[in-house]
Amino acid sequence: MTDADTRPGSIDESVFRELAQSLDCAVAIVRADDWKIEFENARFFRWFQPGADDSDSLVVRIADLKLDRAKSRLEGGRPFTFDTKVIIDEQESPLRVTIAPFAGHEGSVYLLQAHSTSKEMEVQYMLDSYSRIAEKNAHELEKEKERVERLLLNIMPRAVVDELKEYGTATPQRFDAVSLLMLDFVGFTDMTISHDPSAIISELNDIFSAFDRIADMFDCERVKTIGDAYIAVSGLPESTPEHAANIARLALRFRRYLERRNQAHPQQWLARIGINTGPVIGSLVGVQKYVYDLFGPGINLASRMETASEPMHITLTEETRELLKDDFVFTSLGEREIKGFGTQNLYSLDGELAGRRF
Amino acid sequence: MVRHMAESLFKRYGGFAIVSRIVSDFYSRVLADDNLRPYFAGVEMPRQIDHQTKFVAYLMGGPASFTDEHLERVHRHLAIDEKSFEELVVVFRETLEDHDLDETDIGTVVAELTSRRRLVVTRADS
Repeated sequence: MTDADTRPGSIDESVFRELAQSLDCAVAIVRADDWKIEFENARFFRWFQPGADDSDSLVVRIADLKLDRAKSRLEGGRPFTFDTKVIIDEQESPLRVTIAPFAGHEGSVYLLQAHSTSKEMEVQYMLDSYSRIAEKNAHELEKEKERVERLLLNIMPRAVVDELKEYGTATPQRFDAVSLLMLDFVGFTDMTISHDPSAIISELNDIFSAFDRIADMFDCERVKTIGDAYIAVSGLPESTPEHAANIARLALRFRRYLERRNQAHPQQWLARIGINTGPVIGSLVGVQKYVYDLFGPGINLASRMETASEPMHITLTEETRELLKDDFVFTSLGEREIKGFGTQNLYSLDGELAGRRF
Repeated sequence: MVRHMAESLFKRYGGFAIVSRIVSDFYSRVLADDNLRPYFAGVEMPRQIDHQTKFVAYLMGGPASFTDEHLERVHRHLAIDEKSFEELVVVFRETLEDHDLDETDIGTVVAELTSRRRLVVTRADS
């Protein structure tokens, strides 16, 4: 054996053909100008069989070849790779095909190679189904988190929800300029006894839902309901210079809503409404069953105003009236003894001066 | 804004299933490229592909996150030049094309990639 015999260039063409024929992958040499197959090995012939017309055109042999994309890629000197499927022994078999410029032939011919990707596809299939399960679970978890957050936002301000999520607890916060409204219904207990209780509760639910919508319109928020009592606030969690006016308008709109409802319904709903302005502390209370609640003398006074109120009246102290007197109309109720707050000058809120009258 | 727009890409094209397919294909192309292959000498490829699947998922707005610091750190010692980065972008674009992503979406994902160029390219062209 001489040196010359071992050089690749000196391998006999028949040896080369034999080698190519025995490869496990499909190999073909394709002419660049007309995409005709110049050489193909046995595997290529088996995978991409010529039809009845015995074609040697690559486009006929590989029906799903995207010729335009392949051409532009190869003419730019880049390889083109794509996946396809062939039927072998009545089994669909996935293949990966790469067509690349053939080194040393100046773009006149391309080298095509194809190999089976069955094993890869099996793994890929498994991966797909597992990742679908994981993604589905992640999606459901995400939805559940949103649902929990919506629920929390119903019972406490967003800032408190965020703080709770971040630290697992929320510190009490003082709000200096806040106005409160307390409302409850005259003779509610008697109503539930003398009437169908479930019908009464359903009506109460309608009314409170309407109140929630009105509160939204006037930049107020429902703090909570206790039985037939409805408590709303303005100026919290975001402060607003309009808090007293917001609450006054809310009270007038609540009363107006009830008046109109009473005209149209046999069941009469008569409310006492108390409003008051003052500092409050907002805090989460409870560990397992927590609730966001407001504390402070301001709350107690609002509650006293509600108790002192005549049915379908809105009652407030001199101090709160001072904040509203330029824009609203009042009737003096004179001095009253208010438990825990001494003697107070009380007023009833009748309507708003400018804008719409209630 | 871009994050939000890309958000739908990951979901729209079918999540991790399609991304892992793209990345696996992308790396067989990268390793077949004589200029790019040397950068991956001695790299544990399955691990690299796993990382990169998360990274491409991230580029498409999927559930993974990579900080600029992280990207900068892992590429620092590789001495990647501008030309190689460009070449990699070409291969990436071709891979996306061959997986039939919409041309506009390819633009979006490729732009996400190239916007991180300065974190990856650490060497002037040789």
